[in-house]
Amino acid sequence: MLKINNLHVAIGDTEIIKGLDLEVGSGELHAIMGPNGSGKSTLGYALAGREGYEITAGSIEFEGQDLTELEPEERAAAGLFLAFQYPVEIPGVNNAYFLRSALNAQRKARGEEEIDSITFLKTVRESLNSLKMDEALLKRAVNEGFSGGEKKRNEIVQMAVLQPKLAVLDETDSGLDIDALKLVAEGINAQRNAQRSFVVITHYQRLLDYLAPDHVHVLSDGRIVESGGQELSERLEAEGYSFLEAESEA
Amino acid sequence: MSAILNKLAPESELADDRYGDIRRRAHQRLMQYGFPDLKTEAWKYTSLRVLEKRELSATGPSEAGQPATLPFEADVIPMANGLIDPDRLNLPAGVRLEPMAPADLINLDYGDRAGAMAWLNLARFEQAWRLVIDATLERPLVLAMTSSSDFAASVHPRLQIELAAGVEAVLIEQQADRGAGLINIVEDIALARGSKLRHVIQRRNADSIWVQRTRVTVSADADYRCHALDLGGRLVRQDLSVHLLEAGANGEIDGVAFIDSKQHVDWHTAIDHEVGHTNSRESFRIMADGTGVGVFNGRIHIQRGADDSHSDLNTANLLLSESARINIKPELEIYAEEVTASHGATIGQLEDSALFYLRTRGLPVDQAMALLKYGFAAAPLENAEPEALRDWLTAELETVL
Ligand SMILES: Nc1ncnc2c1ncn2[C@@H]1O[C@H](COP(=O)(O)OP(=O)(O)OP(=O)(O)O)[C@@H](O)[C@H]1O
Ligand SMILES: [Mg+2]
Repeated sequence: MLKINNLHVAIGDTEIIKGLDLEVGSGELHAIMGPNGSGKSTLGYALAGREGYEITAGSIEFEGQDLTELEPEERAAAGLFLAFQYPVEIPGVNNAYFLRSALNAQRKARGEEEIDSITFLKTVRESLNSLKMDEALLKRAVNEGFSGGEKKRNEIVQMAVLQPKLAVLDETDSGLDIDALKLVAEGINAQRNAQRSFVVITHYQRLLDYLAPDHVHVLSDGRIVESGGQELSERLEAEGYSFLEAESEA
Repeated sequence: MSAILNKLAPESELADDRYGDIRRRAHQRLMQYGFPDLKTEAWKYTSLRVLEKRELSATGPSEAGQPATLPFEADVIPMANGLIDPDRLNLPAGVRLEPMAPADLINLDYGDRAGAMAWLNLARFEQAWRLVIDATLERPLVLAMTSSSDFAASVHPRLQIELAAGVEAVLIEQQADRGAGLINIVEDIALARGSKLRHVIQRRNADSIWVQRTRVTVSADADYRCHALDLGGRLVRQDLSVHLLEAGANGEIDGVAFIDSKQHVDWHTAIDHEVGHTNSRESFRIMADGTGVGVFNGRIHIQRGADDSHSDLNTANLLLSESARINIKPELEIYAEEVTASHGATIGQLEDSALFYLRTRGLPVDQAMALLKYGFAAAPLENAEPEALRDWLTAELETVL
C-alpha cells in the first residue's frame, strides 16, 4: 500500500524528516509515536502534499504510484486521507455541502458517478450518529466554532464518508474526552478491513488499547528509531522517551 | 479639470424646459466649485479623469438590451439607456410614476466639489421621476437599468422614491450596463413612518462609468435594509447615505463587491443617526482579484443628542492577487451619550492552510478557491429575504467565483 524509502523533508532550509523508512501493507494499522517536534505531523503533511514541505531525497510510493508527483487533490482521489492534528476552520462554507462536493470531486476524478443527495445524507447521518455528534453540525460552517473534540470527530466523519484506502490520523485522540475517545476508536475499527490501511499518530496508549495496532514505530528527530508490536507502546507509556537517549548513547 | 466640465456640461446644451432655472443654478454651482480631484477627500481613491479621455456621444441608441430575467415573479420598470418610457409601463396597484415637480428640486444642495456629479445631474437630467409606493407590494418591484453595447452617451437619471406610511416593499435595482457611457444617477428614497423597504442593488456593468448617489431618509419606526451585490464595472462610484430621522428608525446595509481586473469600485456609505433611539448595522465585504481596485469608506455619525442609539459597522476584505488593491476607511463620529457603536475592519488573503485542507479532501484548486471565496463573501447576503431573493443573489455571486 505505502512504501516510504529514505525520505528527507525540508521546510525552508530546515530538514525535518531525515531519512525515514516505512512500509504499510494492505489492511494494516501502524501507530507512530514520538516526542513533540520529532516530525510526525510533517510526515503527514508531506504525504498529503502540502506546499512548502519539500522532499529533498527519497521516495513515497502509494499503491505502486509515485505519490510525490500528485497534487493534494489527486492524492485524495487516489485514496489518501489525512486527519489533521489541527482541523482548519472554513467560515461560511456549509459542512454538508463541503463534504458532498469533496466526495463528488473525488468520484469524478476516478470516473465514477456523482452520489445522490439521499444516499449521501444517509451515510453522513449514520456516521454522525455513531460518533454521537449533533446533526446540526452539518448545517454549520466547516469546523467553525466546533469544540476541540467536535473537530476531531468531524475528521472521522469525513473519513467515513470519503472511504480512503489509507488514512493517516494525526493525533485524532488528543483533546477527546474518555467517551469520545472510545467512540472514535470504534469509528476507526468499524472502517478497518483487509483493503484499508491506517497510520495512527498518537501520544497515548489508551487509543492503541482499542485499536491493537499491527506495528508501533517511534519517530525521533526525523527518523524511525524503533519499531515493534504493542509491547513497544506499553513500554513507552511506562518509561517515556528517555530510553531513546540511553540507546543512542550506548 | 475644467476641460471635463465644458465637455460634460456645456452651457449651450442646458435644456430650457420647465426646470430651466434649476438647471442654470446647478450649472453655476458646478462651474463655481469645479470637479473633484484626488485632493478632494471623498474622491481620494477614485479619479474621474477617465472622463477626459472618453468620447461621449450626445445621444444614445434607441434600443437597450433586455435585463436578465429573474427567477421569481416581479414587476419590472425598464430603464433603458437611462430613460424610462412611461407609455410602456405596467405598474402594479399602489405604485405610480410621475415627473417630479420643479418645486421639489428647487432647494437642493450638494455642497462643494465633492458633490459635483450631483450638481451635474441636476443641471443635465433628461428625466426626473417620482415613484410613489402607496400600498404594500406583493412582488418585488424591479428597476431594470440596462444599456446596449453601443451605448456611449452620458445620461443623468434622477429618481425620487417614496414609501407611504406602513407600506412594505422590495425594490430591486438590477443594473446591467453593457455600454461604455457615463451613467450618473441621483436617487432619493424616503421611508415614511413605519414603512419597510428592502432595497437591492445588484450591479454587473461592462465599460461604463457609473456614478450613483443614493440618499435614504428613514422616519419613525421605519426600517431600511440594503442588500448590495456589486460585481463591478470599469468604474463604479456608489454613495449611499442613510439618515435616521426619528426615533425607532432602523437602517442596515449588507454589501458584497467582487472586483476583477480593469475594474474599479468605490463604495462610500454613511449612516447618520440624527436623533436618539435609532439603530444601524452595516456589514460590507470586498474581494479584489487581478488588477481590481476596491474602495470602501463607511461612516457612522451619531449626532449630538442622538442618545440611546446603537450602531455596528463591520468590513472584511480579501485580496485575491498580488496586484489587486483595496482601500478601506471606517469612520466613527460619535457626539451622543449612552450609545453603543462597534466597528471592525480587516484586509486579508485566502488562507493557504484552508486551501490545503480543502484540497486534501479532494477538491481541485479552482473549486476549493471558489468555495473559500464564497464562504467569505456570502455572509452579508444571508440577511436578504425572502429566500428566493437570497438564492438569486448567492447564485449571481457564484457565477463570478
Ligand atoms: N513552517 C515551519 N518552519 C520551520 N520549522 C517548522 C515548520 N513547521 C514545523 N516546523 C518544525 O518541524 C519540527 C517538527 O514539527 P512537527 O509538527 O512535525 O512535530 P510533531 O512530531 O508533529 O510534534 P507534536 O507531537 O507536538 O505534534 C518542529 O521542530 C517544528 O518546529
Ligand atoms: Mg504533530
